[in-house]
Amino acid sequence: MFRFPHDVYVDVRIVESHNTEIRFKELVLQSQKIRTEKGALIRVFDGTRWYYGSTTDLENIQASMDTLVQMATPNPDILNHPVVQAFQVNQEKMLRYEADSVTKISIEEKQALLEEILAQIADPAIVNHNSRYVDNKTIKSFFSSKGAAITFDQQTCGIRMTLDIVCGENKDQAGISKGATFFSDLGGYKQYFQDEIAKSIAFIRDAEPVVPGEYTVLLSPEATGVFTHESFGHKSESDFMVGDETMKAEWALGKRVGRDLLTIVDDGTLAGNGYTPFDDEGTKGQETKIISQGLLTGRLHSAATSVALEENLTGNARATSFEFEPIVRMTTTYIAKGTRPVQEIMAEIDHGIYVETLKHGSGMSTFTLAPARAYKIEGGQITTPVKISVVTGNVFSTLQEVDAVSAEFELTSFVGGGCGKMEQYPLPVGFGGPYTRVRKLKVQ
Amino acid sequence: MKRETITIQDKETTARVQTSQVQAVRVKNIIKKGVRVYQDGKIGISGAVGDAADGDLLQNAVENLSAGIAYPYPLSGHHMDHRSYNDHPMTSQELLEQAEHILAVLGQEYSDFSFSEGISFQETRIEMKNSEGLDLQYHDAFFGLTLILKEKATANLLDGALVCQTRQFDPDRFLSFNRNFLEAYRNKVALPPGDVLPVFTLGTESTLGFIGRSLNGERFAKGSSLFSGKLGQQLFSERITIELNRDPLRKGRPFFDAEGVVLPGDSLPLIEEGKLTKLLTDKKTAQLYQLAHTGAATGNYDDPPTIDGAHGASLAFRTDTADISEALQGQMAIFILMASGGDFTADGSYATPVQVSFLFDGNQLLGKLPEFAMRSHLHEMLGKDYIGTFANKAVYLGDIPTQLQGCYMTIMR
Repeated sequence: MFRFPHDVYVDVRIVESHNTEIRFKELVLQSQKIRTEKGALIRVFDGTRWYYGSTTDLENIQASMDTLVQMATPNPDILNHPVVQAFQVNQEKMLRYEADSVTKISIEEKQALLEEILAQIADPAIVNHNSRYVDNKTIKSFFSSKGAAITFDQQTCGIRMTLDIVCGENKDQAGISKGATFFSDLGGYKQYFQDEIAKSIAFIRDAEPVVPGEYTVLLSPEATGVFTHESFGHKSESDFMVGDETMKAEWALGKRVGRDLLTIVDDGTLAGNGYTPFDDEGTKGQETKIISQGLLTGRLHSAATSVALEENLTGNARATSFEFEPIVRMTTTYIAKGTRPVQEIMAEIDHGIYVETLKHGSGMSTFTLAPARAYKIEGGQITTPVKISVVTGNVFSTLQEVDAVSAEFELTSFVGGGCGKMEQYPLPVGFGGPYTRVRKLKVQ
Repeated sequence: MKRETITIQDKETTARVQTSQVQAVRVKNIIKKGVRVYQDGKIGISGAVGDAADGDLLQNAVENLSAGIAYPYPLSGHHMDHRSYNDHPMTSQELLEQAEHILAVLGQEYSDFSFSEGISFQETRIEMKNSEGLDLQYHDAFFGLTLILKEKATANLLDGALVCQTRQFDPDRFLSFNRNFLEAYRNKVALPPGDVLPVFTLGTESTLGFIGRSLNGERFAKGSSLFSGKLGQQLFSERITIELNRDPLRKGRPFFDAEGVVLPGDSLPLIEEGKLTKLLTDKKTAQLYQLAHTGAATGNYDDPPTIDGAHGASLAFRTDTADISEALQGQMAIFILMASGGDFTADGSYATPVQVSFLFDGNQLLGKLPEFAMRSHLHEMLGKDYIGTFANKAVYLGDIPTQLQGCYMTIMR
């Protein structure tokens, strides 16, 4: 297919992305868009430096490749370079979504579903709302000068709405989102939207300012997912660790970072936003236990970081689009479920906070969670809704504060947003987990 | 049938940096095209990434008319404005030479740090034309440097950043400032005493983001904005003026909105001397709610225009105070470099952790402070606790003018 040169390593990732977006403002159609994007990222490695080129001119990938090769220095021994040796040579076609492709559903049917859900919005407290149906079907093909030849597909669809809610003097925006892999699943979420709308109105009507302080915090599966992603997930991305002896010592495999009940997993094989059967340098996706029973047991890798840290590939080299090179990213990351019912865990909290939904989170030395809906826990019961700007904790110590995880478990799925890392945003990721109790977090 | 086309071309060369060395070079050349057609009060749109044939795009846009999306507003027209803000773009070779020079100096003089991320040169060309005589062209090019700072002795993911965005890169000035910055970084100092301290932020995006949502004309009219019912009322300190600003010299963005509207002088005040005078409106919002049209349409190249206000990227504070030292009257202040993850609640309460900050005397950074958190309320930050908005002379970020904004905040150690 391509004329790969002999004295450098080359791979080509071709991405064909089919997107639908239907937008409504209240009950009036604002846009109806079907967009197909095709592009490619070419990587050339001479053993010293990488050269990347992104192009939308798919007819001339060979010419783009030849131009990049000119920039590199020929290296007859390139195949013996440890990073090149680490690259897997998979040859596989894995098209899972051909039969139930969102591209086979008419735009009228998609619009009708959204209109059906919008017809439920009747509460006068909702003074305005903007909604959209979106779907994405992506087919990726990957070829390398080592002989890899992979084609696979990914698919998501979903509905997102933003509601302006006014209850007397109390007013705010509420966002509600639900994603799925198959269009047929979305029809089952009408009640979900109705319930979320009712909860959002009640929250905005009744929420009072929180008294800042340290609290025991119970996180919902959604909040657990963001907490896991931000508090620890980014720390497990090993590109932060390459060439950094302090980080390597701090996060040495085998170190105890949490209690026995804590297990954290990243798994690219799970369907949903983080589904990555092959990463963007051709490595097969897999389940990676990052923390097992409180002990650090793994981290996430690209080929380069796996060689630098002398660990196995994990299939976590991902790019947000064909415009970018792959870097180490999470796929679907979650805390494994426990054995105790959430009601039992909550009953032990005399004075705490329940975080149900989130606006955003971030993860540096201090991680942050900005709640959308949060409530007081008093005497083991959820009581008054509270307005909170931010919940924070220290990434080095907070995992030790996780002292209960529930038997109830959910992987959440949504559309809109995603994970940002430096210039690459948004990358679809999956997350979720059990209800998680953190003994001590700062709440403001 | 009326026609409108939007063409965006982005060219980029980036040196990817890992542990203070150029690890990769990335080149990019992406074209995006959008076509809008208007007929009988309806709009049809199509778009493509790549150099798609104009005839195909036009046909798709005409077909999209059948969706029945209303757009009964007059098109902008009879206006030609071609602007280029950088006629001397850097070559890829020059970029790599600059990147390697900067990294060599930093690596040699500051071996207790490592530097990662990217140094790039990005060139953008945006054209918007229509059958009514609109012909707008914006061309610009920037040298951009973002080097994530990592102190080798810490186990943090990152400890700060060196940042520069500029049309003409001055490596001597960049290195001169960042030598002082890194020396200040090495000098660890304690927070000044007191629970309420003067705090200066570089950039005002967080505050303007919250204000932008409240200035959205649609939300204002529907009663869901914090500012609903307050047109003409005093919201903030009399020193504060917030404007819709499309001056590329200030913003590094196109001078027209998604409906091809060009503001006279490229700016329009919305909050004047603390008083709410106008809202963010596109043509539709202005007509629907009988508000002044302020040219605040946004949208992707292949989307119908819609009202801006989801973020504050097109808003700006006017500089209102000249001398920070004079405003501080000898008091030591906090200079915030990185405060990530905080937010406003719906009623304007604000809290955030501060990851990287410095002791600041009004002129220069004196030493690095420990992590802390801070809180306040929008009306206090821009009211009784407001110190001023100043032209940034303390930190070199390139030749695009930036500001420092000061206010008193409650500090939580």
